[in-house]
Amino acid sequence: MEFRRSGDLDEALTSLAELGDKAQVLAGGTDVMIQLERGEISPETLVHIERVEGMRDITENGRLTLGALLTHIDLAQSPVLCDRYQSVAHAASLVGGWQTQAVGTIGGNVCNASPAADLLPPLLVHGANVLLVSKDRGEREVPLVDFVVGRRTIAREPDELVTGFSLDNSESRTADVYKKVGRRGAMEVAIVGLAIRLSVDQAGTINDARIAVCSVAPVPFRAQAAEQALLGTKANGKETGSAAALLLEQAEPIDDVRATARYRRMVLPRIFESAVAECYSRAASDLS
Amino acid sequence: MNSANTSTLVNGRSVTIIGDGATTLLDFLRDSLGLRGTKEGCNEGECGACTVLIDGRPVDSCLYPALAAEGRIIETIEGMDEGSHLSSIQAALVATGGIQCGFCTPGFVMTLTALLRKQPNPNRNEIVGALAGNLCRCTGYSQIVEAAVSLSELGKES
Repeated sequence: MEFRRSGDLDEALTSLAELGDKAQVLAGGTDVMIQLERGEISPETLVHIERVEGMRDITENGRLTLGALLTHIDLAQSPVLCDRYQSVAHAASLVGGWQTQAVGTIGGNVCNASPAADLLPPLLVHGANVLLVSKDRGEREVPLVDFVVGRRTIAREPDELVTGFSLDNSESRTADVYKKVGRRGAMEVAIVGLAIRLSVDQAGTINDARIAVCSVAPVPFRAQAAEQALLGTKANGKETGSAAALLLEQAEPIDDVRATARYRRMVLPRIFESAVAECYSRAASDLS
Repeated sequence: MNSANTSTLVNGRSVTIIGDGATTLLDFLRDSLGLRGTKEGCNEGECGACTVLIDGRPVDSCLYPALAAEGRIIETIEGMDEGSHLSSIQAALVATGGIQCGFCTPGFVMTLTALLRKQPNPNRNEIVGALAGNLCRCTGYSQIVEAAVSLSELGKES
């Protein structure tokens, strides 16, 4: 198997334009190398992008842009994310151990498109768009909800590279949280993962609600009905309970080695209610 | 199968990486260089027995392509002893009984080395957090954490 280093973006795009689906893009390797070992993938060439310059930055310009080569440690330790995009930083800190976080990237976590991908719910609640570029067709931007189209299936064309993610601005009186249920506190694949982003008006009424979950369906998803149920409320117990019921309706959990579907259905509304309470109180803490 | 040759520094020695795209750094270290101190446990990034330092960062060498290590600085357990002496971390693990069967020990030594370089006086939570990716099935972890605590001023207080 050929190993092709990409010194810069142009080299990577040239390789992908030439090789198409015979190539497998590789950054930190933490998912790809396992899949190679298990025989789940058999590319002719690995296109190594870990050292492509300019894809490991966090920039703010109206929206927040995260380079695809940011590692989980980069995300977990970023002051901007820890301040205003806590769900992203926190979710990154819960992916594997230090060894995985040191080299595993946000681009890899998204493109691997695991039903349990921890970074997907936080990116979904921040309205992320996926930034793609190809040698022949240039740049395009795809909403993340349209990019992850199935279990381990994404809408990337074979000659395209994901260069980053563009997130909605996080304004004042906005807060976000990520909650993960696992069997232990570290090194877990999520049994349930849940991100919430809430914004409140001057009176403390929710005027923007976003909810996304992983590990309860083949693809992480936004729970629009539950979001609608929180709008115009102050997230009291009854209203949150109604939203939880709507969230459950949209979930299609399965039994697997980590947990039963029944357990997932029991735990989902509970972490939802605690996450809403925490998120609401943080969003409303800006009220004077 | 193509093979490519490129060089990197392993424990201060310049070596030529031989392998194809699917060759892991772990296999290269053990089979090509004969550095058998780095262990293969799970081979899928769960156990940390294969931890080495790449440019100072702890990485599971079973998941890292050997050829991706071109030009990087690799440190393995074989490079940890200070001449004929154990490193302070190795000595602390001996002193606290943090070693039983020893299979996981090289990985723990590498992760703790990275931690103590970055944060010479970690508290207990930082130690436990840093070690999340290393499994030990003998000691129950307490003695390993105690070894790191014994080297840290902050750890002793908590």
